[in-house]
Amino acid sequence: MRSLQRTAAAAQGGPASRALAVSRREMLAGGIGAGALIALPDLSTPGASPAVAPAGSRYVLLYGTPESRPFPGGSVAAALSPVTKSRRLPAPKSVAAKLAAAPVSSPDQSSVALMTVDRLPAGAKVTLTLVDATSAVVEKQGSLTITGIPDGTNILPTPVFAPGTATIAVVLAITEPSDRRLVSKKDPHHGAPVPMHAVTWTSHHALAYFDSRSGSFAGPFHLGNAPALALTTAAANGSDLFLWTTAEPRPGHPGKGRPRPAPLPWLSVFPLGSGRARVAVPSPAPWPGGEPVATLATSDVARLVNGRTVQVSSAQTGEVTQVTIDALNVIRAKPSAVTMQSRPDGTVFITKPGIGRAVIADPAEEFRVRAEVRFPVPAVPLGAPSSKAVLSPSGETLYVLGGAKAGGLSAYDVATGALTASYSHGTTYSGLYQLPAGTLLAVSAANPRLAFFSPALSLLGTADTSLQISALF
Amino acid sequence: MAGYDTAGQIQDTYVSARDEFGEGPGFWIRYFSPSPAADIFSDNAVAECQGAWASGGHYVGPVSAPYQSNLSGSTAQGQADAQTYAASMLSAYHAVGPLLLPSNNQLYCWLDQEYSTSLSLDYLDGWAGYLANYNFAGLGTYPLYPCLYCDPGSPYPNCSTMAAARGLNVPAAVWSSEPEPCGSLKNPPSSGAEHCATVPTRLWQYGEQGACGYSANVDLDVGAPGFYTPSFCFSVRSDP
Repeated sequence: MRSLQRTAAAAQGGPASRALAVSRREMLAGGIGAGALIALPDLSTPGASPAVAPAGSRYVLLYGTPESRPFPGGSVAAALSPVTKSRRLPAPKSVAAKLAAAPVSSPDQSSVALMTVDRLPAGAKVTLTLVDATSAVVEKQGSLTITGIPDGTNILPTPVFAPGTATIAVVLAITEPSDRRLVSKKDPHHGAPVPMHAVTWTSHHALAYFDSRSGSFAGPFHLGNAPALALTTAAANGSDLFLWTTAEPRPGHPGKGRPRPAPLPWLSVFPLGSGRARVAVPSPAPWPGGEPVATLATSDVARLVNGRTVQVSSAQTGEVTQVTIDALNVIRAKPSAVTMQSRPDGTVFITKPGIGRAVIADPAEEFRVRAEVRFPVPAVPLGAPSSKAVLSPSGETLYVLGGAKAGGLSAYDVATGALTASYSHGTTYSGLYQLPAGTLLAVSAANPRLAFFSPALSLLGTADTSLQISALF
Repeated sequence: MAGYDTAGQIQDTYVSARDEFGEGPGFWIRYFSPSPAADIFSDNAVAECQGAWASGGHYVGPVSAPYQSNLSGSTAQGQADAQTYAASMLSAYHAVGPLLLPSNNQLYCWLDQEYSTSLSLDYLDGWAGYLANYNFAGLGTYPLYPCLYCDPGSPYPNCSTMAAARGLNVPAAVWSSEPEPCGSLKNPPSSGAEHCATVPTRLWQYGEQGACGYSANVDLDVGAPGFYTPSFCFSVRSDP
């Protein structure tokens, strides 16, 4: 369950709580939003309105784990991005802890969706809070209630923005315990049998649709697909939600039985607002679970599997075709973080830092590679954050973490693949992001964990945070 | 006894590894779902086991490398990742007749926590609790043991998170990625792996392909003194 981080000043009606009076709508939003607003006064420059960032600047939401016990999951803090060079920036402030799932950014990076789950006597309340990414102010918030679930049920919500619409689909993986029993298991450290409370877990999915204009939910629509694996992959276009699921393999009888192949995932296409699929087709392996996915300019949906193959689902029929991108068809002993993003010109930008490559590929030409940049493999090509290389808004420059030996950051000309700039002062960064205005953010292990750079790789400033950062929004 | 881990498929890897290191491995560690950027063992389990048999390394240990930000997440996220992991192992077990559980009924199931990834206690509780409770193949023997691949010296929460876990949610073992003296398959280092305060290091990745300049798509691993790694892996009893 979530817990909000409220400052002492807010609790005592101090300056932070007065800042909440900036907007009645924001006050009423409560929940995560209140936490975010409390953080703002400490992040603003002296003399500025606490809820308004200096012109040209914007807030950044940090997602990760506090560096001290008890290491709760899913914590969020807010930081201010500088406009001009300043040596030290105010520290980001905690916003919330124990989010039910990682935040999700809208395709245009203007909003971030935060999901929380609260237990109720008769079920659970799932809340979506939509935060303006520039101002860190709550835009909308809405909740729905899941009823008829036993105590101990886990709910994993995944928000999915539908581009060009006000709809945010939410895929709910609902995993219920049953058949609680006492069994015996050998303790691995002492070798002696120890009693253990075993449980059988069974998952199914439900869909809900959040209207970001009204803040209201439609649903939940339970899909009746138990037993399923809770992990899914989902994406949406302007009319449909594409959802990859997998039936959970279960033994018909104890032991091995006759050999049988692993089940394939299924792709179902739901009209936005509906709990009934208009199409359901088998999909090639692998099972869904964290692979990059992108909505293409054609409204088809693509997912990048095995770090080298793009599976494209037709917007009309859902049927899947796949193509392997030769430039990415390089296998190493250790997997790499991979990312894939759609670009305004219809191409996709794909990074695979574990082999030191980034490409721009054209879906209209079977993902022919239009540009390829090769760079030294960063020191941490798989660990969080997954973003190790970013493309400038113009598409002309690739920014990437420096190689394992040099660290720092590097910039490459996309057209020629040539190194054009680098910055290295001994720091090895683990993640790299670029804000819409062009400011770069690099993440490192120790404070200052946030470093802001200009597009010319000039250091703008740094900020400390007690959060070990897993992702930025 | 030393062995390999790889994100590639065994049947595509073992020949080049044998050519480079001169002999077959004692065991393999292979990726199971969810590992979104790797080749998944259970997607082609028969061919993988044929490769393992041909390589002379007749034991396969499982590892899962979920989307790394997940490891900072909630109990529900950890449980969901573990559920897919267990199902992936079960699918491989069902697909290959001669792929068997270890005779001691203790299958060590590794979670890949990379250097810059933070492990939350909520995630670990959900992940480890699911595996420890999993009634594999309906056998009623609960043979899955959660374990952690990590860099114990990393400043990110890993050892400290494990120290906060309780009961069978405490990982059974650590597979340490550091230090990295490199070396060969025939003469692995005998000791020196980094360790955590509360969970013993049982496996050591002493040679990583990128850092050590290996040509074959393998990293090199060795069990801790007194720890026989194959005893905690799936075994391939015959050529499938």
